[in-house]
Amino acid sequence: MTVEEQVKDIVSRIAHIDKSIISRTATFKEMKADSLDVVQALVAVEETFDIEIPDEEAQKFRNFGDFVDFVEREAAKKKG
Amino acid sequence: MKPLQGKVALVTGSGRGIGKAIALKLASQGCDIVVNYFRRREAAEQTAEELKQLGVKVEIVKANVGDPAKIEELFAAVEKSFGHLDIFISNAASGVGRPIMDIDEKAWDWTLDINAKALLLCAQRAAPLMEGRNGKIVSISSLGSKFVWPTYAAVGISKAALEAVTRYLAIEFIPKGIAVNAVSASAVETEALKFYIREGLVKDAKQTTPVGRMVTPEDVANVVSFLCSEEASMIRGQTIIVDGGTCVAPWASVIEKGEA
Repeated sequence: MTVEEQVKDIVSRIAHIDKSIISRTATFKEMKADSLDVVQALVAVEETFDIEIPDEEAQKFRNFGDFVDFVEREAAKKKG
Repeated sequence: MKPLQGKVALVTGSGRGIGKAIALKLASQGCDIVVNYFRRREAAEQTAEELKQLGVKVEIVKANVGDPAKIEELFAAVEKSFGHLDIFISNAASGVGRPIMDIDEKAWDWTLDINAKALLLCAQRAAPLMEGRNGKIVSISSLGSKFVWPTYAAVGISKAALEAVTRYLAIEFIPKGIAVNAVSASAVETEALKFYIREGLVKDAKQTTPVGRMVTPEDVANVVSFLCSEEASMIRGQTIIVDGGTCVAPWASVIEKGEA
């Protein structure tokens, strides 16, 4: 399973969003995820990949694609 | 020698806002500080730098205090770094701002876990680290525990629970030599308050505060610091209100100052 698929799984499960509407260009607002959904998804992704996604970084995400790109970069760093 | 020299304080949610002001105040009294943060790493690192400039030891620990496993990790880190604890400040707070009909179980659990359950679980973990040290525990509440604001239900209810936990801890922890109290404030000038003002939920509190200015994080920190001193040792289980007179003079919001 790719990082993108794993992140999509987590967001879908936590925010109760159908996977079909989660795309790289979709914003959390467009996916109808509220601020609690977003925080809980960030926390779940952090734990899954053993990485940290501080709010200072998360606030820069324009869409789901930016979120996935950040997780891929951090997960790769972690693997070294 | 500073009054709290050599003591160790853990302040949850101390990267910014009221928690940061408390950490700085306790450090100015000589306390070594464990800075806990959840989401904002840069802010926590900045706070740690400011604390180190006061000449105290500082540890930064990331933990969501709404998660019991993370509380365990937080206190394990405190134990590893310092071996004991003298002061625990339960300040970290979160919450979902919704009308009561929109508060689902997820929003309720999130808010109550971080704002109320965390005090219970952290106090249970802190107590053995405070053994024989005249420990102090202070929780940070808000006037939402007693008064009703739009969309503040989940947080207000959690703060009422927090104050109740504080009272029970205060009495049950007497044999352990630990003093437990709460500090409650009206609208405090923080980033969190700016959110409420932007959303139109809080008006300029300067107009509704008899003293004529808003409560600052430092006002809250000063009272917390006093409760952590031996001078306050006969105060137990109380919620001390820091509000510039708002609670006792609600009319101040509707009449001109000086016409009372």
